Amino acid sequence: MIDKLQLKPPNMSGEYSHAKLENIGTRSPSWKAPIMNTIVIFRHRFLVRNLVRREIRGRYRNAMLGYTWTVIEPMLLASVYYFLFVMLAGNPDKMYPVWVLIGVVIWGCFGRSLSGSVSSLSRNAQTIHLVYFPRVIFPTTSIMGNIVISMMSCLVVIPILIFYDLPVTVYIIYVPISVLFAGFLGIGLGMLVAPLNCVQRDVEHLFRFIVRAGFFLSPVMWTYEMALERGVFGEVALYNPMTVPLTMARHGVAGESLGIPWAGVLGSLGFGIIMWILGSIVFNRYEAGAVKHL
Amino acid sequence: MTENAVEIKNVVLHFPKQRNALIMLVNFFRRKKVRFTALRNVSFEVKKGEVLGIIGKNGSGKSTLLRIISGIYPADEGSCKAAGSISLLAGLGTGFSGHQTGRENAILYGSILGHNEQMMIEKLPEIIEFSELENFIDEPVRTYSSGMKARLGLAVASAIHPDILLIDEVLGVGDPQFKEKSKKRILNLVESTGTVVLVSHSFGLMKDICDRLVFIHKGEIIGVGEPDEIIKLYYETTGKD
Repeated sequence: MIDKLQLKPPNMSGEYSHAKLENIGTRSPSWKAPIMNTIVIFRHRFLVRNLVRREIRGRYRNAMLGYTWTVIEPMLLASVYYFLFVMLAGNPDKMYPVWVLIGVVIWGCFGRSLSGSVSSLSRNAQTIHLVYFPRVIFPTTSIMGNIVISMMSCLVVIPILIFYDLPVTVYIIYVPISVLFAGFLGIGLGMLVAPLNCVQRDVEHLFRFIVRAGFFLSPVMWTYEMALERGVFGEVALYNPMTVPLTMARHGVAGESLGIPWAGVLGSLGFGIIMWILGSIVFNRYEAGAVKHL
Repeated sequence: MTENAVEIKNVVLHFPKQRNALIMLVNFFRRKKVRFTALRNVSFEVKKGEVLGIIGKNGSGKSTLLRIISGIYPADEGSCKAAGSISLLAGLGTGFSGHQTGRENAILYGSILGHNEQMMIEKLPEIIEFSELENFIDEPVRTYSSGMKARLGLAVASAIHPDILLIDEVLGVGDPQFKEKSKKRILNLVESTGTVVLVSHSFGLMKDICDRLVFIHKGEIIGVGEPDEIIKLYYETTGKD
């Protein structure tokens, strides 16, 4: 039974909001997209914080060791690669396992950021159907979560510094910077293809493969210095944008300056910025249409 | 003459039909668009302070229309204008993360719905009290029953003060007592908000609270007007069964 409800008659007074009629869902012009995205993230910081928290909590749920997995996982992975490498090529260097470990952490940050942001829209289909807020928040929070997790992984550096008796210099700052750098390289590409992934999920699978293949093509199991010893390979390696953050983190731990030509650093940074601008524009232009495919 | 709160003019919305990649590619090059038209030339307006109901069969485009107004889908053609902030109450509790506690989820869900931090802190005790979860509020949500989730969702979602409220079939969650309580809460919200667009299948309720009804059938508006007339029209058009 529905009881008769006494509702106040509408329009008793002019107490309703005096907001003017505005178009719904107007897009900001493309050239503004990168700036607007940044402003939007700042404006929605409460939401962003909560979504990042969900991302991090979700990763190690119901695990006894919880967040220590952020450190254990790269260590286990590095030890496997170490044995593989020693078996194949003989023992090169006592620092080699450390370089692999750091490589795994930094590459992990990039790889997870990339695949996380590529699938960010499709994973959040339910929320997207429920409520509107600027969707650039999805890839961004995915990457922020990964950066936080990778920062925690970086704590593995502390026992290394003690065990190998390495000097702690100002260059240690390179370690967190390179995590940010790796995450930043992931976001541009991620935003660029996230809308496409709504249309066909193949994109997600393709990028999972790219992350895996890139692992071997980037200086993760090998170092930039090893490539330099082989002459031309050193220059070729610099065309890979990930060479800079990976090398940067290693030099930070060793307490040395970067040792990469400035052109290489600028090239890598430039690549990141261009991808970010391009990604922002494409995301801004296509996300609304792509959401219909979800 | 009162102002309009929402103005929908000649809105057309197409949904792409999911096909496999090869067919999509072929169609892309032949410039052939395989699509399903969800809304055809839909026009109506909602006055400030008006409670407007939308009726129609399942799949007629009611929810899609609400999603257009709330900005989830952009209209392919036509224009859609609204004055002030808009909240959509739909699918309560989707987006909950099972391994976080009820309290954390309340804050998360609240922020997803656009509540600000200040307001969440102020409203949280009231939200928890309304949800009747008591000690369960600090347990992970995966341990909740579906009724409990819906209750928490409703409690969070209804703690809002938008200028325009859109409601998509959220009446009737939980046990009879809670159902009654939630109905009262939503009706209070309807009363205090003023401008409301309501989608529901319970015609009795709509007759009581709606000023006007819109009848939508297969993506087109068949009629707009007094609730009694429109409900009659609904049965005439769709048949008794």
